[in-house]
Amino acid sequence: MKQLNQTTMRRLISIGMLLILVILFTILAGAGHGKFFNFDNLIEVVRDASVPAIIGVGVTYIIITAGIDLSTGSMMALVGMTMANIYAYTLLPFPVMILAGMIVGLLCGYANGVIVAKFNVPEFIATLATMSIFRALTYIIAIKDANGVIKSQPMNHSHYTWLGGGIGKFYYVIMAMIIVVVFGQIVLKYTRYGTNLYSVGASKKAATLSGIDVAKTRLVAYMITGGLVAIGAVFTTARLQSATTAIGMDFEFSPIASAVVGGVALSGGSGDVIGTLIGALFMSTLENGIRKLSINTAFQYVIKGAIIIGVVIFDATYKTRMDRKAKEEGAKEGLE
Amino acid sequence: MAGQTILEAKNIYKSFSGVPVLQDVHFEVKAGEVHALMGENGAGKSTLIKIITGVYSKDEGQIYWEGQPVEINTYQDCQKLGVACIYQELSVIPPLTVAQNVFLGREPRKGKIIDYKKMNEMTQELIDKYQFPLKPTTVVENLGIGQRQLIEILKGLSQNSKLLIMDEPTASLSGKEAEMLFKIIQTLRSEGVSIIYISHRLEEVYMLSDRLTILRDGKNAAVLEKDEIIPAKVIETMIGKVVDESAGSKKMLHSDENAEVRLDVRNLTDKTDRYRNISFQVHRGEILGLGGLIGAGRTEVVRAIFGVDKAESGEVYLDGEKLECYPKASIKNGIGFVPEDRRNQGFIPLLSTTRNVALTNYDIVEKKGRAISDASELEMSKRAIEAIDIRPNDPDKQVGVMSGGNQQKVVLGKWLMRDLKLLIVDEPTAGIDVGAKDEIYGILEDLAKQGVAVIVVTSDLQELLRVSHRILVMRKGDIVKEFKNVEVTQSMVLAAGQGVEEEA
Repeated sequence: MKQLNQTTMRRLISIGMLLILVILFTILAGAGHGKFFNFDNLIEVVRDASVPAIIGVGVTYIIITAGIDLSTGSMMALVGMTMANIYAYTLLPFPVMILAGMIVGLLCGYANGVIVAKFNVPEFIATLATMSIFRALTYIIAIKDANGVIKSQPMNHSHYTWLGGGIGKFYYVIMAMIIVVVFGQIVLKYTRYGTNLYSVGASKKAATLSGIDVAKTRLVAYMITGGLVAIGAVFTTARLQSATTAIGMDFEFSPIASAVVGGVALSGGSGDVIGTLIGALFMSTLENGIRKLSINTAFQYVIKGAIIIGVVIFDATYKTRMDRKAKEEGAKEGLE
Repeated sequence: MAGQTILEAKNIYKSFSGVPVLQDVHFEVKAGEVHALMGENGAGKSTLIKIITGVYSKDEGQIYWEGQPVEINTYQDCQKLGVACIYQELSVIPPLTVAQNVFLGREPRKGKIIDYKKMNEMTQELIDKYQFPLKPTTVVENLGIGQRQLIEILKGLSQNSKLLIMDEPTASLSGKEAEMLFKIIQTLRSEGVSIIYISHRLEEVYMLSDRLTILRDGKNAAVLEKDEIIPAKVIETMIGKVVDESAGSKKMLHSDENAEVRLDVRNLTDKTDRYRNISFQVHRGEILGLGGLIGAGRTEVVRAIFGVDKAESGEVYLDGEKLECYPKASIKNGIGFVPEDRRNQGFIPLLSTTRNVALTNYDIVEKKGRAISDASELEMSKRAIEAIDIRPNDPDKQVGVMSGGNQQKVVLGKWLMRDLKLLIVDEPTAGIDVGAKDEIYGILEDLAKQGVAVIVVTSDLQELLRVSHRILVMRKGDIVKEFKNVEVTQSMVLAAGQGVEEEA
């Protein structure tokens, strides 16, 4: 009795969801120039999915350990604003500015990791608190005009803004995303660290008994996320050619949403980076299609939220069913 | 065959929050022997093992490995010595493959990248060697409990350990799988590997072990050589001969067959096969004892009757009426349930006696409009306190800070406020001092006199004989024995629970 592996099944479901959405919008919003289904627009969809996917790699790691990070959006703003300060007030070269952004990202991730893994503060509360702290720090260091009013800081030097572009339509952010996703998937599937992430998520007790340093595994996942948030911040500011306090407003939501849609179970221990990429593409397709249909954009948040609830409910019932099946089969064997 | 002493634990003491669990325990394993460790539930077997494997720290005593004193503070310490433990609770990781589980934390690598090919080959070699029905690349979440247990065993075997500890390894194995395991144990022994074998199943212990250490109440009861391992003697030692002759170890059961049937359970069967085709009756005024080993399915059966978990099939009748089994209906129908896990399921630690008592009784507490009347709530809790002498007798006292015995009285007290027809108590006196135990038995007996049918699930044999009018023994999900209107001893009940027939 050969049954399809749970993981493969879930992958097929998320790919199916993405395809259905693409077909649906092609029918509703049409194909051809200026419509939904054409090369330029589809590239745009991928471009929009890139930053959530990059951050999503780290968030995937965290969720696999049965954790969560709500602070990625604020962290992104803080990194962006740090770089804006260097841009506005110093003559330091751009690589140094980006390096400083990276360091801030890693420090934020380290802070999350320490609070969660060393002090055992529940992830949800810990990162809810740091979400508020990082956002507030962003306001504190925000660039102000002569009257002390916060202003948006242009970051439009051509040596920096080229990062927002690409080779023709092949944007650098897409390249970066592909590199991060491939690398992220390899680390997850082919290194001890990746295996440890799954073990920690499935059972912290069993992981400890197998000699895995649970705290370190979790801490590193938060730091990786911090680093990736910084990369996301670089591409976002380069694309917007400015830094504002509002940057990253949606970036706590979209990486988590991408992971969940892509089959990374919030209960931990399952899912992978490729799934999250599919999820990110799904979310950006949804956004893009809704825009093309000229539906009030506020609705997209309703639809996104509803989809996530639906997916979580589906995953939970599906998992319960599969687990029971495994147990029943085990029990049957026991009867022999 | 057995050689020098490989592991020795001397003068081990351990207590949990003041309650001694191990007292001056000695334990010694020789190279190449299968050493069984037995004892009743709570005798201290698991605690001793957890001290040896570094999960718990000992209060006093010394462990020697190959003659040298060693400090084992973590599980890694014991692995380094060459000790592997196959725990009773499964510690496999479901989303990983069989091979990933076997080599978790010890994966063969090329540089930083895990060498899956080599890992799978190494796992396959092990599987071939021991002929397990497994494939290295299967994801564990698709496997049944029995196969997961085999992975656990494989993990222990893969470490080339000198000493392998197996805690109830056959608990979730099928007959075929268990036989496979027995063969492996014999192979390992001939290779010079020592095995500590913990099992409740006497027949396995007789068959496999070279020596047997028996613990009783946290102390050494006996170390038996192979030719001394005789069922009657082992059971006697586990229970304690001294106790055997004193009151409470023998009892004349007397159930009144003519009394009206209160509870009638017919063909109750579990979804996941933890019990099957369970049928029995309880009469008015009868205390039915449900005995057997932990994991025999007793708790699951009574939970299904109360309706906490749903049974797959079967019916339950109370006073001739068919019941819908879910807790709210059960409470309304006059069934009370005192769960096994008192602290997590029996009461709310942060609430007062009054609130705890009222919690299950809001349907009968007086109300002013929709609001609960504080006075009537308080009056009810005062009645409960008076009826069964809950101490401290302050209705506002947080239940969480009270003694175990009084906590249990609060749990019982809330049921006493209702018009009960059936009361189910699961391990009613676990962790309760002797005085309070007697009081709780008194409460149960009073209830029975009033015509309430009582079911007592207990692993404490003395208690089972003390309170029961009739005894049913469960084993592996079946009722295997009924004792009624006969003189019964602890040994007889224990033997029935373990599947060893013994001449009475």
